[in-house]
Amino acid sequence: MTGPARAGQGDRVIETIALTKRYPGGVTALDSLTVEIPPGITGLIGANGAGKSTLIKILLGLVPPTKGLARVLGLDCASARTLIGYMPEHDCLPPDVSATEFVTHMARMSGLPAVAARERAAESLRHVGLHEERYRAIGTYSTGMKQRVKLAQALAGDPRVLLLDEPTNGLDPAGRTAMLELVARIGAEFGLSVVVASHLLGEIEQICDYLVAVESGRLLRAGPLTSLTQARQSLVIEVADRTADLAGELGRRGLEPRPSGRGLVVPITDESTCDVIRDAVADLGLALARMEQRRHRVEELFRPDRSDQPEVTHVG
Amino acid sequence: MSAEAVPTQTGPGQTGVIHDLGYQRYTGDRYGRAAIIRTLTGYSLRSAFGLGRGARAKIVPVGAFALLCLPAVINAFIVARGGTRAFPYDLYSYPVRAVAMTIFLAAQAPELVSRDLRHRVLPLYFARPLRPADYPLAKLAALIGACLIMLDVPLLLLYVGTIVGVHGPGAVWHQTTLLLSGLALGLLWSVVLATIALAIASFSGRRAFAAGGVAGLFFLTFVLSEVLSTIAPRAAGLVSPFALLDGVRMWLGSTNPGPLAAPGGSWGTGYAVLLLALVAAGLAALVARYRAVAS
Repeated sequence: MTGPARAGQGDRVIETIALTKRYPGGVTALDSLTVEIPPGITGLIGANGAGKSTLIKILLGLVPPTKGLARVLGLDCASARTLIGYMPEHDCLPPDVSATEFVTHMARMSGLPAVAARERAAESLRHVGLHEERYRAIGTYSTGMKQRVKLAQALAGDPRVLLLDEPTNGLDPAGRTAMLELVARIGAEFGLSVVVASHLLGEIEQICDYLVAVESGRLLRAGPLTSLTQARQSLVIEVADRTADLAGELGRRGLEPRPSGRGLVVPITDESTCDVIRDAVADLGLALARMEQRRHRVEELFRPDRSDQPEVTHVG
Repeated sequence: MSAEAVPTQTGPGQTGVIHDLGYQRYTGDRYGRAAIIRTLTGYSLRSAFGLGRGARAKIVPVGAFALLCLPAVINAFIVARGGTRAFPYDLYSYPVRAVAMTIFLAAQAPELVSRDLRHRVLPLYFARPLRPADYPLAKLAALIGACLIMLDVPLLLLYVGTIVGVHGPGAVWHQTTLLLSGLALGLLWSVVLATIALAIASFSGRRAFAAGGVAGLFFLTFVLSEVLSTIAPRAAGLVSPFALLDGVRMWLGSTNPGPLAAPGGSWGTGYAVLLLALVAAGLAALVARYRAVAS
């Protein structure tokens, strides 16, 4: 599942071996989790309570594991801290100071001298898109601006790895898109490796190179996004009427359409699939109302035995 | 999908190869843990006086400081009119100290610790090189420093106000030795009061509760000890940190009469032991508290 699936990645940013965390109350948050995370943007996907936050806390050295080993950039977690930027899931900003002052202080807490901390704070806030408002008290900010300050403080110490815990939490759709674009840019252009924990696969699959899925503290799947999803790419098609005729026509042209709601789902076989559908619709003289790539659903990745067979994909 | 918008490979070492939007790595010096602790101490010391915050944050510390300076100012007037020093260095003004330090600690100990607890800033600290015990110790050092400023700067004013009225190097030297013992006792006060106040404040993220806890403890025990002093003068020294500190002062050999009776040898030893135990308990509580919140 892990190693062999990833070709040509000699270096790994994060590595855990049989990592187990049991809390005193008897709750097992992580259960023998063994995973390797390569450079780039990695999605850490799982339902709430799957163990994502516990894994992040262990990687930060905030929580000791019960058993097993975790390494970040080849170092043990506590000594890798200067190389890690952390954006927590929850609110973590005092309301009575300005973003500039807060991020500067946090940069100094990462070990930067005063002048450098001030410069990097200004730069980080600029990178996340906070300009004049950065001199205002954080308490007056919108949720989206606060999320940006949280990201800026993680960037300010010049980390090599960013651990972002649910960065789109509490944001409206536009804010989510903006935050995801920002994360994608940081991963692509800043040369940082980013781990984004989320319970929304549809959201982070847009920006990830690699995906790690956990459930109940266990590894479900890990691999490059393409290898996990390519086999199951499919299109959703809706026509104004005569859906059954179109299904028959597509079947004759070598595709495998299945009814789904008011439309059809067609697995993508190769690059010509779209053309075949277009021609079929045109030849039948139908009005094409919708044709779009279908969002992958979390459970398809979570259940490899089922999702390897596109025919039985559940639609709803 | 944004795959087309980004370079095909990403990884370390490819910073800005394709798009140079100005992200620069930091290549300068990076301080270690000890320097970060010192930075946090300095930052906290500033915030203990409301520096770097709005004007409202400065009202209480500045007011309490002015109150503490009042006896020294009065002394300067008295000396200037030909009188002798009005307040001893080692006791200063006991009621003024008790009141002003209670107000100062009730307001500023929560400022140092409750804020970060309340707004859940601590995970950001502990995700950095600091270890869980470093944070409360830096905060404690800052609060001790703040108390030292509150307690010892008025003594320096008292000294300056006094030596302008004395004549001859012998007299100045005499004042100086008395001042030095006063400054040392000020340090003892600072350590004891700051440790107790910070330990109490660290248990609540709600500023009002933390302030109430600190003020309640210092004020109620102060009143209790005043009441007890008429019934059981020596036992009265045990109930309040202020009375305890003054008892230790007399046990250490100061002859200036204080609010309570001189404790004598065995009671005095008891006072000193209790004082040490209080500081140790406060430290242990702080470290245990932050070990718990760090995880």
